[in-house]
Amino acid sequence: MPLATAVPAPAAGATTRRRTLRFRKGWLLLLAPCALFDAVFFLTPLGRLVASSLHDQAYQRVLQDPLVIRSLVNTLEISALSTLATIVLGYLLAVVIWRRGPLMRVILFALVLLPFWTGVLVKNFAWAVLLQDNGMVNSALQGLGITDHPLALLHNRFAVVVGMVHYLLPYAVFPIFAALAAIDNRLELAARSLGAGELSVFRRVILPLTAPGVSAAGLLVFIISTGFFITPVVLGGPGDMMIANQIGFYALQLTDFAGASALALLLTAMVSVLVAVYQRILRAGGAHEVG
Amino acid sequence: MKSASSRFSPALLAAVPVFVFLVVPTLIVVPMAFNQSRYITFPPAHFSLDAVSGFLSDPAWTSAVAASLQAAGIAVGLAVLLGGSAAVALHGRRFPGRNLLTGVILAPMIVPAIVLALAFYQFFTSLGLVGTILPIGLAHAVVATPYAFLTVRASLSGLNPALVRSARSLGAGWLSVARFVYLPVIRPGLVAGALFAFSVSIDETVIALFLQSPSATTLPVKMFTDIQYNLTPKIAVSSAMLVTAATLGLLVQVSFMLRRRSNARMLPLTSAAADQTG
Repeated sequence: MPLATAVPAPAAGATTRRRTLRFRKGWLLLLAPCALFDAVFFLTPLGRLVASSLHDQAYQRVLQDPLVIRSLVNTLEISALSTLATIVLGYLLAVVIWRRGPLMRVILFALVLLPFWTGVLVKNFAWAVLLQDNGMVNSALQGLGITDHPLALLHNRFAVVVGMVHYLLPYAVFPIFAALAAIDNRLELAARSLGAGELSVFRRVILPLTAPGVSAAGLLVFIISTGFFITPVVLGGPGDMMIANQIGFYALQLTDFAGASALALLLTAMVSVLVAVYQRILRAGGAHEVG
Repeated sequence: MKSASSRFSPALLAAVPVFVFLVVPTLIVVPMAFNQSRYITFPPAHFSLDAVSGFLSDPAWTSAVAASLQAAGIAVGLAVLLGGSAAVALHGRRFPGRNLLTGVILAPMIVPAIVLALAFYQFFTSLGLVGTILPIGLAHAVVATPYAFLTVRASLSGLNPALVRSARSLGAGWLSVARFVYLPVIRPGLVAGALFAFSVSIDETVIALFLQSPSATTLPVKMFTDIQYNLTPKIAVSSAMLVTAATLGLLVQVSFMLRRRSNARMLPLTSAAADQTG
């Protein structure tokens, strides 16, 4: 290769160009498998889904089904409730982690990440055991004399929200923590030196500065909530079915694939709009873009 | 730090029950696997291995474990290969359509699992593939590829594309560039990607439920079917197995965090990961 320096200039230029060309081809070869795989096994199935939703006036039909309307209302109610609880609790955890030293942060993050790594069925199973009539929660409530008979904690909306908040908390803690970590701590010192107390530092400095991060986290959590399928079945009652369950009902019980596809695309459209808003908030807040 | 932490001590007090809320449900399933009674209660009355041996001698459960491992094997292999190579290919390159392409690669993360399940069901049924573990593995690979793409991309963020160019101008062939420039840099990303892909596949329930057949029922699908009738010790055993796997994943991630605390590149992933298998 040292000989290459002795080669006359035009020839060297040609080599470079050829090399660049080969290099270009090389990276396309590297990209092709993933692109091809996604085209065949992701975009094609979605395309078929769109095609099958266009049969039998599926959209009109599903939107006139009172069960669909019911599941849509359930989805909005349960998702809103879960998101609210998740954000409040997630903010609390994020602040506590933020106030710790580096090592303690990693330990507390690990506690938040344990449920994140655990599958939804394991979590739902644990909640079903804890919340059943003779479960630990009811025994504790009876032991403390709060109630003298077991409360119905399972197979209702309460259990669904508990299970969902447990699932969703990690998704709220990390973006809120990122927003807190981005605060310039001189601002807080300045507020304190100007005489601001504990509460007003939080209310007038920290909370406003983390508001974009919190709304992004809230939107992310809400987006995830709308797709829940397993939790309403395992922890909920018949009145707590969400839109994903309705899609499953149309497909598996009614074998009405046109209707199921139409509902699935309505859910996808809703999620896509929310994701677009989410990315706009993130960009405005200067935080990480999704991905 | 002392003053800073004591300042928010009411918040700390309030946070302790929330941490308990987060961790306790995951942890109680392990002792439940060693329960003696036919029905599940916590805390377990007597320590016993009955449930574990019952699980191991029940072909319905052991074949579910095998099916899950096969699907995860397909998913991890494909996701790491496809996601990793795409991340390397896109590294430091600008071209029209780049954002669109990245969007397509990441999209499976935000499409709700139920939508994917329905789409995969219709697609693989029309191909006549439902009935084996292959469609579940392929579907899980679609969902897991963005994770491997993101982790490898994150590990590449410290690599200046000019380094690659200078390596090549110094005469390194593509094989040497791959081995001596890319591989050392992306290795942690590949490991993390494989871990995420495994976790996604081993826990995924909705898609596997739609694509299930008597010969291809994964562990979460078996759990989901049984859990609707009874809370049995065998579900506790499989939960304990999944928690053990989750803990291993968590430990690897924590070691990543400790190794480069400043560069917490694996953290943003958690917030971006909107896999909706709830």
